[in-house]
Amino acid sequence: MENLFIIEANELVKRFGEVLALNKVSLSVKRGEVVVIIGPSGSGKSSLLRSLNGLEKVDSGEIIIDGIKLDQGEKTIHKIREEIGMVFQQFNLFPHLSVLKNLTLAQEIVRGRKKELSEKVAEELLDKVGLSEKTDVFPAQLSGGQQQRVAIARSLAMNPKIMFFDEPTSALDPEMIGEVLEVMKKLAKEGMTMLVVTHEMGFAKEVADRIIFMDQGRIVDEGSTDYILNQSKNPRTKEFLSKVL
Amino acid sequence: MTEIINWLSLQAKILFNILKFLVPAIPMTIKITLLSFFIAVSLGLFIGLARVSHKRLFSSLSKIYVDIIRGVPLLVQIFFIYFGLGKILNLDRFLAGVLAVGICYSAYLAEIFRAGISAIHRGQYEAALSLGMTPYQTMRYVIFPQSLRIIIPPTANEFIASLKDSSLVSIIGLRELTRAGREYYSQYFVDFHTWLLVGLIYLVMTLTLSRIVSWTEKKFKVIGFGMH
Repeated sequence: MENLFIIEANELVKRFGEVLALNKVSLSVKRGEVVVIIGPSGSGKSSLLRSLNGLEKVDSGEIIIDGIKLDQGEKTIHKIREEIGMVFQQFNLFPHLSVLKNLTLAQEIVRGRKKELSEKVAEELLDKVGLSEKTDVFPAQLSGGQQQRVAIARSLAMNPKIMFFDEPTSALDPEMIGEVLEVMKKLAKEGMTMLVVTHEMGFAKEVADRIIFMDQGRIVDEGSTDYILNQSKNPRTKEFLSKVL
Repeated sequence: MTEIINWLSLQAKILFNILKFLVPAIPMTIKITLLSFFIAVSLGLFIGLARVSHKRLFSSLSKIYVDIIRGVPLLVQIFFIYFGLGKILNLDRFLAGVLAVGICYSAYLAEIFRAGISAIHRGQYEAALSLGMTPYQTMRYVIFPQSLRIIIPPTANEFIASLKDSSLVSIIGLRELTRAGREYYSQYFVDFHTWLLVGLIYLVMTLTLSRIVSWTEKKFKVIGFGMH
């Protein structure tokens, strides 16, 4: 039987020198759940995402992704990363490759797919994010919103079970935020398990199953979207929300 | 008037004789340059990757290598490898000369490669790793191809410099262009014309190379690349 929780993290601790980025953070995410993580900058939101896919090495704590324990061994890290798509604030598309190649590279060398299949997958996904006519251009020729949509498609091409979004709209001009959020909403409705660090409360209201509020390396408040936005009595949550809403 | 014409034709004759003597030595200069640069690139790539390694042992050992090699004159390295190591390892002049130039340039290239690799934004590694690529795949398909654009121009400069520095191996008796010049001079005592010609031949070779380099640089320009 498949485990109910696809992500399980227990007592994660991560230090950067003197700074405690994660202070005993525990988190469980169900299959198909959309969890939005909010909090002031430096509260550990990104560190949490980055620790869960092994980009940061935690100092202590346990991480289990889809039944695989992330024990920091090279093999399991790659295995886990194949299952988790990651979308970054700065897009991080490969500038030396065309849009199509950005989507096919990892499919071919990591998943071992044939060129024809990987291109077919890539074209379908570019169509899904509304960029099917951009296959042959290079990332620098696209707008920020288009680049981010390509980045999402690139992650999806690996057929991940989970998608992480680390402030996906923070580097975008306001008029481009909508197009990226639309793609993310579509994904959420399709049942993708998503962990999203964002300040876009509109997005949270519409699609989040749960909101986590982090401050100073801890999860200080969490609950359903309605609870966090309307009912929480936690003064830090209320203070933060009053600034972003 | 006839005196001038006589003088000019004498000059031309002298130059032509020297040229006939020098030309057969040019292939040796090219051979030394190509082979030593091949060694320099292979070794330099290896050392350069070690320089950016997260493993302390690799990065510090390679740093020591670079510091030592760059801190000792090439001429001294040639002496050391030919007269010092050569005796023990039984190296002939050619091998010793090629090795000395190759090792010397590997240190400079290692620094160029290190700089090129370090210049690529951290996000590129993270994106590649997040897609499940191994560190090797990340380097091979994502980082290194981007570094190439940064690496190629200074590497080409080093190649041209190594062509000039190949003249130093004349000191251990390898009969390349400079050595041929010395031999001609010691037979006929024509110094001005000989060294003028040797210099000109080097100049023609280096200028040709720079032309080829700038042509290739233009050719490999990718749209939008480097605007990131």
